[in-house]
Amino acid sequence: MSSVILRNVVKRYGQVEVVHGIDLDVDEGEFVVLLGPSGCGKTTTLRMVAGLEDISGGEMQIAGRVVNDVAPKDREIAMVFQNYALYPHMTVRRNMEFALKPQHLAADKVAERIAEASRILGLEPLLERKPSQLSGGQRQRVAMGRAMVRTPKVFLFDEPLSNLDAKLRTQVRLEIAKLHKRLGTTVLYVTHDQIEAMTLADKIVIMKDGHIEQVGSPEEVFARPRNLFVATFIGTPAMNLLPATVGGTASAPVLDADGIQLPAPAALAGKLEHGRKVTIGIRPFDIAIADDDRTGTTHAATIEVVEYLGTEVLINFRLGEHELIAQLPASSRPATGQEALHIAVDASKLHLFDTRTGLAIEP
Amino acid sequence: MTAGAGSSYIIEGPAMRHQVSRNRRIAVFFLLPAVVMLFVTTIYPMLYAGWLSFRNYDLAKPFIPRIYVGTANYAEVLTSQPFFHALVTTFKLMAMTLSVQLVLGVGMALLVIQKLPGMALARTLLLIPMMISPVIVGLVWLFLYFPELGYLNYFIGLVGFEPVPWITSTKWALTAIAIADIWQWTPFIMMGTAAALQSLPAEPFEAARIDGNSRLDVFLHVTLPQLKPVLISLLFLRAIDAFKIYDIIFVLTKGGPADSTEVISLYIYRQSFTFWRMGVGAAASFVSLVIIVVLITLFFRSMQRSQSAQAR
Amino acid sequence: MSPSAREKLLVYILLAVVLMLFMTPIYLIIVSSLKPAPDMFSRPPAFIFTPTLQHYYDLFTMRPFHLQIMNSLIVAFGSTAFSLFFGTLAAYAISRIRNRWTNQIAFWILSMRMFPPIAVVVPYYIIFQTLGILDTPLALIIVYSTFNIPLTVWLMKGFFDDLPEALEEAAQIDGHGVLATFYYVTLPLTAPGLAVAAVFCFIFSWNEFLFALMLTGSNAQTVTVAVMSFWSSDAVQWGRIMAGSFVILIPGVIFVLTCQRWLVKGLTMGSVKG
Repeated sequence: MSSVILRNVVKRYGQVEVVHGIDLDVDEGEFVVLLGPSGCGKTTTLRMVAGLEDISGGEMQIAGRVVNDVAPKDREIAMVFQNYALYPHMTVRRNMEFALKPQHLAADKVAERIAEASRILGLEPLLERKPSQLSGGQRQRVAMGRAMVRTPKVFLFDEPLSNLDAKLRTQVRLEIAKLHKRLGTTVLYVTHDQIEAMTLADKIVIMKDGHIEQVGSPEEVFARPRNLFVATFIGTPAMNLLPATVGGTASAPVLDADGIQLPAPAALAGKLEHGRKVTIGIRPFDIAIADDDRTGTTHAATIEVVEYLGTEVLINFRLGEHELIAQLPASSRPATGQEALHIAVDASKLHLFDTRTGLAIEP
Repeated sequence: MTAGAGSSYIIEGPAMRHQVSRNRRIAVFFLLPAVVMLFVTTIYPMLYAGWLSFRNYDLAKPFIPRIYVGTANYAEVLTSQPFFHALVTTFKLMAMTLSVQLVLGVGMALLVIQKLPGMALARTLLLIPMMISPVIVGLVWLFLYFPELGYLNYFIGLVGFEPVPWITSTKWALTAIAIADIWQWTPFIMMGTAAALQSLPAEPFEAARIDGNSRLDVFLHVTLPQLKPVLISLLFLRAIDAFKIYDIIFVLTKGGPADSTEVISLYIYRQSFTFWRMGVGAAASFVSLVIIVVLITLFFRSMQRSQSAQAR
Repeated sequence: MSPSAREKLLVYILLAVVLMLFMTPIYLIIVSSLKPAPDMFSRPPAFIFTPTLQHYYDLFTMRPFHLQIMNSLIVAFGSTAFSLFFGTLAAYAISRIRNRWTNQIAFWILSMRMFPPIAVVVPYYIIFQTLGILDTPLALIIVYSTFNIPLTVWLMKGFFDDLPEALEEAAQIDGHGVLATFYYVTLPLTAPGLAVAAVFCFIFSWNEFLFALMLTGSNAQTVTVAVMSFWSSDAVQWGRIMAGSFVILIPGVIFVLTCQRWLVKGLTMGSVKG
């Protein structure tokens, strides 16, 4: 049974439509991440699921029930906000008690739930403190605890890590992953950070300008992006793009990128008409430094900047008119002062997109 | 957060020291005129009043020398029943007006922050009473309270009650004044509270909505506690002004009937300008100043102590 | 979730009640100033009547009301300018330089508010009599600054505190002196504060009664005293009083309608953080 279903959900502010008829299925126990740049509608969508925003069109179901007109409190959801949303004048314990109050549980049951959540999240030493006395990471855990004690059917997270510094982010991200593994509750999570999405999600929903661009597992969206937007949004460093025209023969098409010739992936041969304008996408990781014997198709490139990151090295190089980045293990680091480089690309690793529509060309 | 934590210049070496001393001199230049002016306009008259308070300055009896009488005036004030009556009346009035202004003001604020068409205009209109001269406030309420003729009793009669002798009865006069003062100053509380309410972060309220806490619970346990510092601040400002209330009472009752509305300011007025006993009037002023300063300091300290106790 | 129609209705009903309670006296002033004397207290109240400007006419002919308005304006503008100048400078010094002295002065300035004004009437009377400036606008200007300067200091200090020092430091690194920085950087950025302070000083001076009554005679009489003069021991001349009240109302109403946002900021400065 699906936990959350959106059918053609639309959001309008006055005359302006900001979410354009999206469909989404979230299965029970799934960790689904809504990913996209600012203004893409992901937070609006989340808030519609929460009931904090009215649904202008379409239908929404939670746990099999149509909830378009159901108040937030009756949707059996809990939400973790970007700004923690803790009651500033209440202790941590009181915060959690207050969240449970509407459920009218017996006092011992309340204490039990709080004790369990505190244990899981490591909040026990913090129970009598006020939010102002906690660090950012602690506050976020309290926010999670407050959501947890209500044992909801769906957890909603609204960019919970955005207010944390980089190091804390990785820590709390881990805790969220562990929590999900332990509790198994359905999670709907909003972020603009693709690393959070890739590491946490069972399913990623990439959104842009109120539309869903692609839905898929992290592997899918990484290996088979459906369009240019998804291709460049997912993956760090971003995918290299080269505009090209299809040349060569029908059976062995060649991609001509301003003089650089690359063989097209065999699987796509049938889809490439001569003269078609395509955009080649190459992940930095798929660029290799050619061996000295220069066998196979290699290309001469000029090194611009080398960024050394300890375990890997990012080489910013120029190939003809194009500036690209290659991501290589640190051992492949070029010698200082080296300017020339020969790179090789495996044709099967190339992504092709129709330049006009931006859509991926798939076999 | 406050900026300007002292000299922001790092003091290192003669160049900086010169800069710092130059800043000090400029500070003096900035402050000095104001301090001098304040001294002239404030301290000097106060000192003069102080001088008066130790003297037998009786304008009605110009033949008696205005000699130094030590603390005789203070003794008289501190043992005089009228003075304490005036003090009590003042505090009674303050209690009446501040409590109602608080409840009404917060209520109105909750009303006025709703995002509905016309609210902005309503908010603006409701600010008007605050900006009216207290004399005019007194006059219009006198119009309403006027014995036999005033319209307030007319409308009271319409709903079936007996006409109230607003300003002619010792029982009602203070209440009549309280009503006028409440009318004028509740918008102040409303405005400050509305501003505070709108500056509260929205997320805790959204969290409460999702959790399902009742509106009353949210108001009592989430809204009010966060409003407390602001409300205290607003009440403090109002209390200081309420203590000095004068114009409205002067217009409505002049302290009568039978001294039932004689507050501190009016007591001082009577001593100074009806009995012409300036020395006594001055002494009373200082005594009441001390009282209000002490009370406010105590109040403030206890508030701050409870605030910091809560924060720990 | 938007509030239900029933909730909205409730809100509007309550709002109507509140507005009625608070606007009626103002309505009364306006209406009564135009009511012919016989209709003034008629029962039932004459909601419909033939308006007359007689009271306004009387106001200006039985008293030199235009002169009195002049006096009030002179005093209000004068006191505002005076207080803004001294108060702003003091507030700046107190805000930027934190040490024992400025804290003391700040505390003392702000505690001026607690002193009952009545008490200084006599000293002022005697001082002004000695100086020979009784019954002149100058006297009132000086007296009002006793209250307006602390008010200005209170307000402007808040605005100065909110202004990041980094801006001024940047100007000084560029080579500007303290005065130039104050004039070209600080003041423009705190102009709203000046506006608010100006409005409050003006309104306070315009509305003030006690000192105007005590310290002026026929020359420098202000509007508030003039209006009260229509209340003699035998009769209260309501029509003229209401007409005068309306005139006194006008600046306050204008300021509220035009500067509402600033007024709110100023009044809540220090009470509401942020």
